[in-house]
Amino acid sequence: MPDTILVVVEQREGKLNRVSWETITAGQAIASATGWILEASVVGSGAAALAAEVAAKKVAKVYAVESPKLEPYTPDAFAFALKQLISAKQPKLVLMPHTYQVRDFVPKLATAMGRTVISDCIGFKYESGKLVFTRQMFQGKLAADVSFNSEAPWFATFQNGAFRGDKAEVGASAAPVETVTVDIADNVIRNKPQEVFKEAKQAVDLTQAEIIVSVGRGIKEQKNIEIARQLADALGADLAASRPICDNGWLPMDRQIGSSGQTVAPKLYLALGISGAIQHIVGMKGSRTIIAVNKDSEAPIFEIADYAIVGNLFDIVPPLIEEVKRAKVGS
Amino acid sequence: MLIFREPIEGIERPQMPADVVIVGGGPAGMACALRLSQLIDAHNAAHPESQLSKENIYVLEKAREIGQHCLSGALLDPRSMRELLPGFEAEAPLDAEVAKEAVYFLTKKSKFKLPITPPPLRDHGNYVISLNRFVKWLGGKVEETGITIFTGFAGSELLFEGDRVTGVRTDDKGVDKEGQQKSNFEPGYDLNAKVVILAEGPRGSLTKQLVSKFDLARDANPQTYGVGVKELWEVPSGRIAAGEVIYTMGWPLTAKEYGGAWIYGSKGEGGKDNIVSLGFVTGLDYADPRLDPQRVLQEFKQHPLVAKLLAGGKMIRYGAKSMPYGGWWAIPPVAGNGWMILGDSAGFLNSARLKGIHLAIKSGMLAAETAFDALKKDDSSAATLGEYQKKVESSWIKDELWKVRNMHQGFEHGFYAGMFHTGLQMITGGRGVRNRYPAKAGHEHMHKLAELPADGGAESHLLGPAKGDGKLTFDKLTDLYHSGTKHEEDQPSHLVIDDTNICNTRCVKEFGSPCQNFCPANVYEMVDDVSQPNGKRISLNPSNCVHCKTCDIADPYQIITWVPPEGGGGPNYDGM
Repeated sequence: MPDTILVVVEQREGKLNRVSWETITAGQAIASATGWILEASVVGSGAAALAAEVAAKKVAKVYAVESPKLEPYTPDAFAFALKQLISAKQPKLVLMPHTYQVRDFVPKLATAMGRTVISDCIGFKYESGKLVFTRQMFQGKLAADVSFNSEAPWFATFQNGAFRGDKAEVGASAAPVETVTVDIADNVIRNKPQEVFKEAKQAVDLTQAEIIVSVGRGIKEQKNIEIARQLADALGADLAASRPICDNGWLPMDRQIGSSGQTVAPKLYLALGISGAIQHIVGMKGSRTIIAVNKDSEAPIFEIADYAIVGNLFDIVPPLIEEVKRAKVGS
Repeated sequence: MLIFREPIEGIERPQMPADVVIVGGGPAGMACALRLSQLIDAHNAAHPESQLSKENIYVLEKAREIGQHCLSGALLDPRSMRELLPGFEAEAPLDAEVAKEAVYFLTKKSKFKLPITPPPLRDHGNYVISLNRFVKWLGGKVEETGITIFTGFAGSELLFEGDRVTGVRTDDKGVDKEGQQKSNFEPGYDLNAKVVILAEGPRGSLTKQLVSKFDLARDANPQTYGVGVKELWEVPSGRIAAGEVIYTMGWPLTAKEYGGAWIYGSKGEGGKDNIVSLGFVTGLDYADPRLDPQRVLQEFKQHPLVAKLLAGGKMIRYGAKSMPYGGWWAIPPVAGNGWMILGDSAGFLNSARLKGIHLAIKSGMLAAETAFDALKKDDSSAATLGEYQKKVESSWIKDELWKVRNMHQGFEHGFYAGMFHTGLQMITGGRGVRNRYPAKAGHEHMHKLAELPADGGAESHLLGPAKGDGKLTFDKLTDLYHSGTKHEEDQPSHLVIDDTNICNTRCVKEFGSPCQNFCPANVYEMVDDVSQPNGKRISLNPSNCVHCKTCDIADPYQIITWVPPEGGGGPNYDGM
């Protein structure tokens, strides 16, 4: 039997992950260097439709690995299905894109087959009959050549961008598609997939805020942040803070103003209990109007404040909230 | 709840074989790499049949860029550089040759110029440099040789097999504040090396591990340190000539503290004489826990001599670094089974001349010769690497340090006793009243608050935080801003405190939490906490750290250990 390369393309909810084309390109390059035969596989329910898309590329064959148990994605089911396919077809080399999904199931798959993975490769070399993969070390400062000294099948994953997906060669005619039905017993799947994780919602962008109420160490306790929040609500302002507040976890990091946080320039910046260390000032000195409340008359914040209020913020802020509310009603 | 950085156990780490790993890309480490490359080149040219490779020689440097954590005065004695790279003057970034020097003794309002400059402080023929720029240049030379410098990677642990050092583990990246692995987690590499060379600078964290594991310092005097707090100023042209050197003793310190200042005239853009490097070194063996070395520099700048020089100028950069000045008797063995120690990590610093760069470079060169022999013989046991120890002892490093071997110990009982001993030592070839003066670790000199005057007495102007007028003098946070220090914020504290209960219950009462004072970077803070017996709790701002190591040295309970934060973090000492 001739040596084959099997590319596992990635699909999620019936859509091909475009990075799969890069892996096809990589597979084609290795096939042309080694003379091995390139095949591809699509795993998951509804794989047949996608397999036809892959079959248009220059590959010898495409396997559509189907089972109702493959939807939704679970690492247990995918590893199980691929192990069956690989055991049956005995490819020499299995290639995958280095995606989150692959990172999720490939350790399980390789371990189940008693093999290792060369992960996150950026290239390959085929020299005097030896296939060598290149991977980065020390954050890209060094490229290491790594090869397998175990029996096939060999597993390797390629880094996003290592090959050009648009360079995947199209075949002269569509490759045959073979449907492989795998039988996955109920007790194989131990994972209970939850809702797919969505990127965290856009981090707070304080740079667009017109009014910012910012609190510093003078707020004393976490529960006191509430009065700053009330003032912010009354003014229609965004709430921000100096570093100690975010360090304490009283407000999230994305609300920090200063050299290790955001740089802002609102129309109005209200600094409550902020002493005004230079690290904070560089993040807000461009504000059009700065009002600072601090009980220390020598606090450096007063050097850049347009309005300086020397006093305890707990005496000053509550009546201020009332005044703002009253003014709003009046207007 | 404070979570400290600690080695992660039970994970698989990438293994990498190495011939030589040099930890630290300062003058010592770079000189070592360069010399090693020269020796290999010469060998390969002469022996085509037995080629040595440079491919597996690595330098680890925790700074994001070469030279970024290097801070010194600095004056360079060119002796070792002339041996390493003859004719280096033609291409190295040297700001000016020293043309004029003066030593002053200061009182609060006046100055007394010493009629003759003491021989150790005669600097004609030395160069004013920025160590940052100099090391950047030297690092470029190393990179040209094909030796790899891993910037942004710290040596976080030594690897051992029995009594042998077998390698270095680099820092784990992508660990969050709670010590959990983040999505970008990357375990540190195990560099399994034939030869490990420690060139970490003063109070190296791996050197400390090594010295303590094998109790290497048992026959040495305890190492003593000072912390140099430095500011770089741009002043109106003509205030001080490039190449002019001023040393001061006395005020603002009293006769009880050890230390002094330097002022060097240097050149700015376009070769203008408008850059002043100034700094104050305070011996970390002072008595009053309230003393603040950053404040000492601020007080010093208010002396008419300095204030006049700086008036109308602008502070452009700030930094701090400890320096070892225990001298010859405080140096532990510098070579053993698989390891060698260089430069400030070993304690090669001439405290009488306030110079160590040339010794660091020389020690790097000598270690390179030994490492080269080890590679040729394929034997890096103590028998082979021990040659480095012998080379140091028969080199001019020892000649130079032997003459001043008792210098700093003579000052343990204050300035006047120190001057007496120094004078005596000068005429007895360094001996003084005995061949080896004993020493006490600096932190043991610190007194409890109850033993000190409540108002600070004669030292009151050195105690507590500096206020700063924003022009000539600065509070600590403002100074700190100019260090450009930056760290990944979401990582465990790299200042590792063994037991914070000591901070919150004992230290706050007994010493008044000196960490807040001796740290020149506002890392340590005592915050209000009603649940604590004294109403105060220790809080850390690790990302303020400028990697000076003062806390590790000066803490009276010796419960603070400085370990490297995630590589790439730290100060930005451009031009320092």
